[in-house]
Amino acid sequence: MTETAAILPKAAAEEARRPAWLRRLRYLEPSNLLWILLVAALLFLVAVPIGKLLIVSFEQQGTGAFTLSNYATAYGRARYLEALANSLMLGALSSLLSVIFAVPMAWAVSRTDMPGKGFTWAIVMGAFIMPPYLGAVGWILLAGPNSGFLNQAWTWLTGLQAPLVNVYTFFGLALVIALHSFPLIFIFVKSALDLVSSEMEDAANILGAGTSTAMRKITLPLVWPAILGGIIVVFLETVALFGTPAIIGIPARINVVTTQLWQFFEYPVRVEVAAAYAMPLLLITVGMITVQKLLLARKGFVSQTGKGGERRPIKLGRWRWAVLGYCGFVGALAVVMPLMVLLQASFAKAWGRGLAWSNLTFENYAYLLFRHEMALTSIWNTLWFSAAAATAAVCIAVLVAYIVARKLVPFGSALAFLAMAPFVIPGIVMAIGFYAAYAAPPIALYGTALIIILAFTARFLPIAFANSAAAVRAVHPEMEEAARILGGGRLRTIARITAPLIIRSLIGGWLIVFIVASRELSAAVFLVGPRTRTMAVLLYDLSEAGNFEVLAAFGGLLLALTLILVAIGMKLAGRDFMLRRN
Amino acid sequence: MLTINRRLMLGLAAAGAATRLGTARAAEMLPHEKELYEAARREGQITWYTGQYQAEPSQAIGRGFTERFPGITVNVVRSTSQVAFQRLSQDMRAGVAQCDVFSSTDHSHAAFLKQQGRLMAYKPRNAAGLIQAAKDAADPDGYFQVTYLGLFLMGRRSDVVSDADAPKSWKDLIDPRWRGKIAVGHPGYSGAITSWCLAMRRLYGWDYFKALEKNQPQIGRSSADPVTMLNAGERTIGAALPSATSLLSISRGNPIKLIYPEEGTLMVPAPSGALKDAPHPNAAKLFMEFMTSPTYYEVTRPFFSESLRPEVPPPPGSRPLAEVKMISADPDELERDGQEVKELWRDTFGV
Repeated sequence: MTETAAILPKAAAEEARRPAWLRRLRYLEPSNLLWILLVAALLFLVAVPIGKLLIVSFEQQGTGAFTLSNYATAYGRARYLEALANSLMLGALSSLLSVIFAVPMAWAVSRTDMPGKGFTWAIVMGAFIMPPYLGAVGWILLAGPNSGFLNQAWTWLTGLQAPLVNVYTFFGLALVIALHSFPLIFIFVKSALDLVSSEMEDAANILGAGTSTAMRKITLPLVWPAILGGIIVVFLETVALFGTPAIIGIPARINVVTTQLWQFFEYPVRVEVAAAYAMPLLLITVGMITVQKLLLARKGFVSQTGKGGERRPIKLGRWRWAVLGYCGFVGALAVVMPLMVLLQASFAKAWGRGLAWSNLTFENYAYLLFRHEMALTSIWNTLWFSAAAATAAVCIAVLVAYIVARKLVPFGSALAFLAMAPFVIPGIVMAIGFYAAYAAPPIALYGTALIIILAFTARFLPIAFANSAAAVRAVHPEMEEAARILGGGRLRTIARITAPLIIRSLIGGWLIVFIVASRELSAAVFLVGPRTRTMAVLLYDLSEAGNFEVLAAFGGLLLALTLILVAIGMKLAGRDFMLRRN
Repeated sequence: MLTINRRLMLGLAAAGAATRLGTARAAEMLPHEKELYEAARREGQITWYTGQYQAEPSQAIGRGFTERFPGITVNVVRSTSQVAFQRLSQDMRAGVAQCDVFSSTDHSHAAFLKQQGRLMAYKPRNAAGLIQAAKDAADPDGYFQVTYLGLFLMGRRSDVVSDADAPKSWKDLIDPRWRGKIAVGHPGYSGAITSWCLAMRRLYGWDYFKALEKNQPQIGRSSADPVTMLNAGERTIGAALPSATSLLSISRGNPIKLIYPEEGTLMVPAPSGALKDAPHPNAAKLFMEFMTSPTYYEVTRPFFSESLRPEVPPPPGSRPLAEVKMISADPDELERDGQEVKELWRDTFGV
């Protein structure tokens, strides 16, 4: 007893002697520590690899001395500048096409009584989980000027020799990219539309506006942040895409940034020049985020408040069949037709022999499943790398989105920039940045699963971030404020109020990251080690081998597997995922 | 009838004996191999960066090695040669020694590594038994060996282009008749295509490619891409096709026929070398012995690659090397002018 009494005053005295800043720590909320950790994670994932690239871009090869010659080399040839211009135009055209595909579908699924919504949803998912390079191969089979099924049918019908469609054109390239990117816009826009209550449209209707006017003047402007976010993501993804431009762009004689970057990685490897060549892409990101800010500034887009609201589907009447027809048309272009030709190839002994019973075989699948020693390993690798990366990316993204939206730290927009920046770093360059920064000792991550997971996390952070930011922006602070006033801490408020409100968006975001990570090629190809190969890398290997039947079969496996996982996700997330409200 | 049958039976018996002999030979280790094996087994593994074979045969080679030398596993790191070299360059920059043996289809990679003092001077004893062409192309100082010969020739869709109509020589490809019909790889992606460009330039000057450009060939990436284009029927003539990939495609029933060009089939020697700072030096040496032994070419034969040991017959469907007129790629020229022709190509073709 006396002992305790003796100790207590001593402790108090010690407390008094501590420096003032240490005493102040007691008033810190635990959440503040989390913010510090978060900043550290962002620095590690994004700033250090990009910073390393920036430094390297000013280094002379070999000596490491400061030089500007890399920039002179990177921009010293008309062909290199042309590639840059091509990428920008391609990004613009692909995002425009994606908007044309996605927004009507999202509106129809979210706001109207169009039939076949499950079917439309399946189409969007199908377009999304199909790796773009696999879709590109499918489209080569469909729209190759000489051999394409569409052109052969055209010649057969009309007797004309000139091809109907040619995939090896600028438009063909942009179309194929858009057919696999539009789901990003669809998901963003649909999530946003789901939060708009019918009251606002009702108000417009009462004042005399018809369905189309209400959609144009009320509904679409309300989801403008989502559309714009989607456009930016599609634009940046297109600029950073490697597989499709390599497969279609090279035969079409279109050089873009990523295929140009590949040239800088040729022997003798000019990482320094490549780094210099990639740098202005960062400026584009800065520019786009600025434009987004300006466009969204001083307008309110809050549609989810604490007061709730009713949602009713708009009755389309006869038009619902026309709208469904449009969805079906996009679905045929994006999924059904390429999938059919790929399936044909995957079950063919020899793809050149066409459809015939004697050409039918299960051998390609049997070979992959039972005799190929890397196929199953790569499937497993893909699954758990993607799941780990998706989890990490969503956790980081939602916290960043939250502190940026609630202005909890100074320089929040710098954090948003960091979270957005990886998207314009082409996967190849990102991989080299990671390699340069973390492969060597003391960190020594080369050849481990961790370096791939980290690269995936960093690379897809922008998707998770755009998704989370839109979700957080739609939650009015008044609900959190209520909890805070009643004594809840910051973390408790997030866990009890904010998280349940946005969990649906987050599950959607997680699935998006999981799916894009599972098909990611360019970041993986430089980072895989002996035991960490992913399906995309194996697919790319197969695509170069001239062994198309096995490639198609492996693509079929990848798609089947992802479909199963998506189905499980839908089951787990239930109506949260499908967003059905009867 | 009887005689034919008897001859057939005899033939079969002889073949069977040969196979048994082959396996027997494969099983027994030569003294110098045994010596290395004892030391290598303590190291337990080897990491092999390779761009010579596709994924499947690479794995089969790894498995074949472990079967022959139990207790030593092979970490096969397969990619295209350019990527494999890039990876090795990155290792070296980072100061990490991961790779024991490096194999590429680009001769200049090995020349560069040798010049930088990165390769181990180890001449495998088994290399003495390789065919002459492989011995000639190996490094005279023993820093690297030739373990793969790429053969590059032409091919046609046999259902569209008849034997009589088909182009007979490389030169025929610039005939306007083949406008919009030809498919070819890209020198920026494939070291073999770079060698082909150099060989054609040596024969006909760069004007050959200006004329070829007028024929609007379909440009792919790897040298195997045109095989895919032929299978699809997108194009009917393939230029500079790798024989192994084409033969594999033909064996699967695709209507493709090989054309051995009159000027000669392009032969590209592909190097392999052990690294000086290999983390498993004895296993690396043993792997070099393995790559120059008959077992190696028995393992790779089902994948239609050429045998570099006289004991192992050429792959099915291929002409024996001795009967084919060859143009050899010149490694020094590749090292010296490789970059130049890639730039020329891009200026001419735009990609």
